[in-house]
Amino acid sequence: MRRTATVLTLLVCTLPLLAACGDDNTGSPPASADDSATVEITFSDGSVTPRGERVEVEVGEPIELVVKADEPGELHVHSSPEQELEYDAGTTTLKLTIKQPGVVDVESHDLEVVVVQLEVS
Amino acid sequence: MSGDRFSLAHGIGGAKDLPIPPELAILGAVAALIISFTVLAVAWRTPRYDESKTGHPAPGWLARVVDSTPFRVTLRVLGIVGFGYTATAAVFGQDLLTNPVFGIFYVWWWVGLVVLSVVFGPVWKAISPVRTINLAFARLSGSAPETGVFQYPARLGYWPAALGLFAFVWMELVYPFSTELGPVRLWCAIYVALMLLGGALFGSGFYERCDPFEVYSSLAAKLSVWGRRDGQLIVRSPLANLDTTRAVPGLLAVVSVLFGSTAFDSFKDSNFWVRYTQDSSTSTYLLNNLALLTFCAGVGLIFTIGCVATGVGPGTRRLELPDKFAHSIIPIVVGYIVAHYTTYLVEYGQQTLIQASDPFGDGSNLLGTGDLTVNYWLSFHPTFLAVLKVLAVVVGHVLGVIAAHERAIELLPKRHQLTGQLPLLLAMIAFTVGGLYLLFAA
Repeated sequence: MRRTATVLTLLVCTLPLLAACGDDNTGSPPASADDSATVEITFSDGSVTPRGERVEVEVGEPIELVVKADEPGELHVHSSPEQELEYDAGTTTLKLTIKQPGVVDVESHDLEVVVVQLEVS
Repeated sequence: MSGDRFSLAHGIGGAKDLPIPPELAILGAVAALIISFTVLAVAWRTPRYDESKTGHPAPGWLARVVDSTPFRVTLRVLGIVGFGYTATAAVFGQDLLTNPVFGIFYVWWWVGLVVLSVVFGPVWKAISPVRTINLAFARLSGSAPETGVFQYPARLGYWPAALGLFAFVWMELVYPFSTELGPVRLWCAIYVALMLLGGALFGSGFYERCDPFEVYSSLAAKLSVWGRRDGQLIVRSPLANLDTTRAVPGLLAVVSVLFGSTAFDSFKDSNFWVRYTQDSSTSTYLLNNLALLTFCAGVGLIFTIGCVATGVGPGTRRLELPDKFAHSIIPIVVGYIVAHYTTYLVEYGQQTLIQASDPFGDGSNLLGTGDLTVNYWLSFHPTFLAVLKVLAVVVGHVLGVIAAHERAIELLPKRHQLTGQLPLLLAMIAFTVGGLYLLFAA
């Protein structure tokens, strides 16, 4: 009984610490290198850059995907709900806003490659 | 329209959860460490979960309802209706991501079943459509459902179920066409065929050992409060219930597949793996296959080493120990399922409920849920989610440590009871720290 009490006390003391420390970190992402949330994507000869780079953005922040492509195509944005953005050959600026926190993958439909991972917080 | 999905990078569901903050991950790891060693130091030294004595009978009215024929029949009917509805949507519905079959298969069945089992006990055993069909055939042919043509070889144990579970996670995590209707339909058809064949050959006891979903559900149910003694419904503490898990051959394989696959699912979404697989000249498919195998086998191997690296008494064979301790991974698995799949279950689960009203993709609203909207409360509260995840992993770990401790006291000779537990404790701490790291690196 005494031992069970000891263990339970330790548990009870440790767990609120988890909650308390959690609150200190509400949605303040470290300053990303690109404050205006513009991502440059280049498609050429069947490949794309970047390939899976993670970009931190804020909820509701307008994001611009500046796509330079040699062929028209589609970007598939895995937000909730999912979105499809089409672009033409040449330079297209696609505008995007993610309204809820999460990690959203932006994939190239044709190349089956994750271009950018948007960490929205 | 079938170009809608490219599952080399994706399964179903939209945005993924944010990684947990590093401070929370570290705090969780430290808490797990402290509590583990405290348990080791101050916990009981004589076995306390004697199966024949733990728990007390459930309230009379509850036992009468649960054991009544109308209740059992209703559950079986619900299972068959659900199966029929899903099969109809799978055969006659469209091959689009809006077909509810995907949500039913990957979320309601795979994740929902575990949660239901922890709350209500062995749910799949009660609703399994393959059991119901086997029962119906037996009644029609006038034989008993428990007897088959052959006796199921006891040595095989849970190994077929472990293979079945691996087949599911392979389909979900590695197969590039996992969100196309044809493959899902084929998987289910093979599952039903094998289960019915097995039931006919070996009797309904086959399902207890070889139906991957029944094994999964029944193991998760060991964390519920419900048990049976001499046919009577009893209520007992989850830890006492967990201790009643039988050391069937293949138990370690089952929990290794469950834990390894969830860890791999988490790892697969990490930025490191996305970039590595895309930059590598080796095919992503091959890399994912190897990684899934490595995670599942790795969990089994680490656990086995943790179990056998102990002093044993003259009567015990070291290689029997892993299956005897494997039940202690069950709370770790469930904790990690909660950590990894809660948003998936709650949010994609709601989406599936909405989609279920329109199984043929023709705009109908058969169940009346077609106009509901998904409530994304969880996604909008990432701090709450992060704390929930860490708590789930740490609590799962602590329950696992306690379960392993109880088993060590029963099996190991007195002079090895504390030192003998250290390798296994370190293995479990490695699992928990690894799990927390994966949540942080998501």
